[in-house]
Amino acid sequence: MKYLSGVAALALGVAVAAGVPAGPARAAPQFVIGVSNTHIGNSWREEFVCSIKAEALASGLVSKIVLANREAGPSEQIADLRTLISAGVNAIIINPSDRKALDGVIKQAAAKGIVVVAADQAVSAPEAYVVTSDAVGYGRVGAAWLFKQMNGKGSIVEMRGIDGTPGDADRKKGFDEAAAKYPDVKIAATTFMDWSNEKAAQQMAALLASGKQFDGVWTSGIDYTVIEAIKTAHKPYVPFVGADNAGFIKQLIDYKADGLVGVAVSNSPAIGAAGLVVALDVLQKKERPHLTQITPAAWDNTTDAGVEALKALYDPNVAPTDPVYGPIPKYGHFTAAQEKACKGPGE
Amino acid sequence: MMGAGRRNDGVADRLKTLVIRHPSLFGMPALLVVFLAATVAIHPDFNSFDAQSLAMAALPLAFAAAAQTVVVISGGIDLSIGSVMAVANVLAASTMENVGFGQALLLAALILCAGALVGAVNGVLVVVSRVPDVIVTLTTGFIWGGVALLILERPGGGAPDEFLDLGTGTLGTPWLSNSLILLVVAVAVIWVPVRRSRLGLLIYAIGSDRTAAFRSGVNIGRSRVVAYVIGGLFSSIGGVGLTMTTGIGSPRAGVLYTLSGLAAVVIGGVSLVGGRGGIVGPVIAAFVLTLIPSDLIFLNIDPNFGQVIQGTLIVLVVMVGGLATLMRTRK
Repeated sequence: MKYLSGVAALALGVAVAAGVPAGPARAAPQFVIGVSNTHIGNSWREEFVCSIKAEALASGLVSKIVLANREAGPSEQIADLRTLISAGVNAIIINPSDRKALDGVIKQAAAKGIVVVAADQAVSAPEAYVVTSDAVGYGRVGAAWLFKQMNGKGSIVEMRGIDGTPGDADRKKGFDEAAAKYPDVKIAATTFMDWSNEKAAQQMAALLASGKQFDGVWTSGIDYTVIEAIKTAHKPYVPFVGADNAGFIKQLIDYKADGLVGVAVSNSPAIGAAGLVVALDVLQKKERPHLTQITPAAWDNTTDAGVEALKALYDPNVAPTDPVYGPIPKYGHFTAAQEKACKGPGE
Repeated sequence: MMGAGRRNDGVADRLKTLVIRHPSLFGMPALLVVFLAATVAIHPDFNSFDAQSLAMAALPLAFAAAAQTVVVISGGIDLSIGSVMAVANVLAASTMENVGFGQALLLAALILCAGALVGAVNGVLVVVSRVPDVIVTLTTGFIWGGVALLILERPGGGAPDEFLDLGTGTLGTPWLSNSLILLVVAVAVIWVPVRRSRLGLLIYAIGSDRTAAFRSGVNIGRSRVVAYVIGGLFSSIGGVGLTMTTGIGSPRAGVLYTLSGLAAVVIGGVSLVGGRGGIVGPVIAAFVLTLIPSDLIFLNIDPNFGQVIQGTLIVLVVMVGGLATLMRTRK
């Protein structure tokens, strides 16, 4: 009797195991992941962190996220990284405040066997894995589109990010590469809007009030409030380079009839999740290159097909200044809903 | 207090007098012990690595607090401290990048002189222009911030390894960070002689009651300038300290230290109206404030609550300080 029930149990077990669908994780070792972000009050960075939490939840491999999230410079980020090391994490995902300053701490972390991934911006430490959106490509793609729209003539307004950060420096590099091919295009004004919606809108309002003439606008990814500033000032639209923010995508669809021509160059905050994907692979001893550069996609509204693509991208439930949700293809298993919920494992 | 009890002034009585006269000297270390105990309770694995982290992270804030303390005691305020730190930081990192250790030390000494000079400029402007020091130092803060950007447009530079080790290394035991030694030595060497001298007395006098000091023949202007010079000196040491602990120069490095340093000054028991307090309290307060963000990370609380806690701490300290004053006057 006992023998028969044992066989039955075994058969049942095999049947159950055969029926279980394969998820993203087979084994279930529980990793502790540290996250360090030094720019807050910014919806891009918020989604960056939320994408990591969502991916941690979806992967099934992470037991806990230890989050160091505060407005800080390199000195404070070094302190935060040391705290994460002290907390005994298995991997750290960093959005670095400086390319070089963190090298010492990263070296210490790597010496303790911690996998360090710099996501969104690069670091110079050889021990770190770097996962970035090709920021040089980002600058180049948008700028090339803009100069072509302007037929290579005229002057533009260049609205950059935070001076001194690797992200801003790389995008400038791509911008300059494209500009080299259009020597007749001049820069009417360069501003640093520090990736702040309010600041960018103020700077555009000031520019419009000054009466300075420009024939195009290149921005480092802050768009919705700038377009609204142009609309409020009753000035004509000029070719505009922005990012995949929900409000801008709607503006590209709605204001096309009023003459707005623009391109949304993708700079998905889910690059954070991409960093976690790489970290988890390395923790599971799978091969990953030290540098992963993801090419930015771009959507413009100059063609009907383009407008249709933008309509597919748009989500009315996302705030206008927030980037659209969802993972980068091949670099995330989470859903847009999980990213919006922003809850990590155990929360 | 000094009357009938004088004959029987035992150790207990003397200690009691000391505690009541200098509450911050005992209150602050007690507060630090409480926070350290909480930290160890939250993170039982607290080891020498964490002790080093604390010293390295507290160093710049402690110097910002020291600089602000001297100026506040003299009855003024300095809102340019963070920018002066940034200038010293980028000057150090940009000039020390490919030099030897000896040269780096010489450059550091020169930068300290520059810091004192910057402090003098602040002081002279305040005295000569008769514009309130809040406005003068706010303005000079913007100017020095711009100067920092002119010296080093984006973070970079470096310094020789032995120089960096002065901030990041340890001496004797891994529990004793060089940062801690640097802090104690710099504060002692600069402040103790001043405190015990006539100059120190003058600084306290003009902060305590400027009119009375003037009537006693004190050169108010000169004393105020000296206070700002010492402040500039501490700020520049803090900036060079930033170079040691981060290994780079960052033109925006000082942004957070001005107000956090002021918070440390208030928590440390120095009265913002001037004339009262010592330097030990604010320096220890800097350590307390540095513990808060990392404790919050361990507790998985949003580290930005650190600012809420910092504010609450200031309110509590001011209330307790007011209570202590009340008890003192009643006795």
